[in-house]
Amino acid sequence: MHEMGLSAEIYRIARGTADDHGGGRLEAVTVIVGELTAVEPDLLEFAWQAIVQGTVDEEARLLVEWLPARQLCDACGPVSERAPGSWLRLCPRCNGTLAVSGGDELEVRTVSFSGEPAVTGASG
Amino acid sequence: MTEIDVRQKVLAANSAAAQGLREAFAASATLVVNLISSPGSGKTTLLEATARALRERLRLGALDGDIATERDALRLENAGIPAHQILTGGACHLDARQVEKALGQEARLAGLDVLFIENVGNLICPTSYDLGEDFKVALLSVVEGDDKPFKYPAIFSRAAVTVITKADLLPHVDFDLEAVRRQVSTLNPEGRWLVTSARTGAGMEAWFALLAEELSGKRSRRRAASAG
Repeated sequence: MHEMGLSAEIYRIARGTADDHGGGRLEAVTVIVGELTAVEPDLLEFAWQAIVQGTVDEEARLLVEWLPARQLCDACGPVSERAPGSWLRLCPRCNGTLAVSGGDELEVRTVSFSGEPAVTGASG
Repeated sequence: MTEIDVRQKVLAANSAAAQGLREAFAASATLVVNLISSPGSGKTTLLEATARALRERLRLGALDGDIATERDALRLENAGIPAHQILTGGACHLDARQVEKALGQEARLAGLDVLFIENVGNLICPTSYDLGEDFKVALLSVVEGDDKPFKYPAIFSRAAVTVITKADLLPHVDFDLEAVRRQVSTLNPEGRWLVTSARTGAGMEAWFALLAEELSGKRSRRRAASAG
């Protein structure tokens, strides 16, 4: 489950951002997760809870924005529906080959935190 | 409340470490191959056979990622190449910082012709982590079933080479090689495809030729870079 390591990295980036700007408690962190990253939003949020627990930021919410990849079929043009089982390379309408772009995004987009400096001393 | 627009890649720290490794590997013209498969597909066995066949001609070495035991590194040492075990202690993949640290500890792995990175046995998590390699190799043994590329599409999309292993067992198992090949070429039209048996040696010459060709490409790129 690589989501645990990713959540730890997200926390490190978010906490670092808050510290750079005066260090309040984290309130919310928004991340973009692309369709082709093999990252499960639910697992990422579950791991996030484990990471922030016991820190000054344990109330902080992780907000995941899921971003689909773009599929383009030679015959059908842009295709929004997904072919189950073939993961995006076979057109669900005509079974032709799909060109796929995007979907590899995995990015911390915004970090919000309270104005007061965080109380230090907790783990994390 | 303050909101900051960050727009930072989650794996930025890993990517930065991978970039540093890539530059060092370019400078020494070391071909770096990241091998990914499920446990038991034959990564170590493929590397043992590779070590025995090529160790007189090329300076080879390996990093072996596992959760526990130094067994794989010992097997490759016994096959005659320097190998360093990275124990992840539970993590399901290697990251670039672990590779950086291991190379810092192991002088025998400096200035190689080919460095193999044998990732933790797992078809999912290692896919996301750039280790500064030239390319990823996905291994699939014929006993694992012929539906795996579509079930684990991320790795088969991103691996430049798919190596079918244990092909000597094909007569004994229901494994539709052609169906697997179609799945892989759907996911990865430019990907290369090899069918091997490290036990009988079938297909191994093609694997060695691929390594030699990629190494020669890497050396030409270094010459071009130093000339330019």
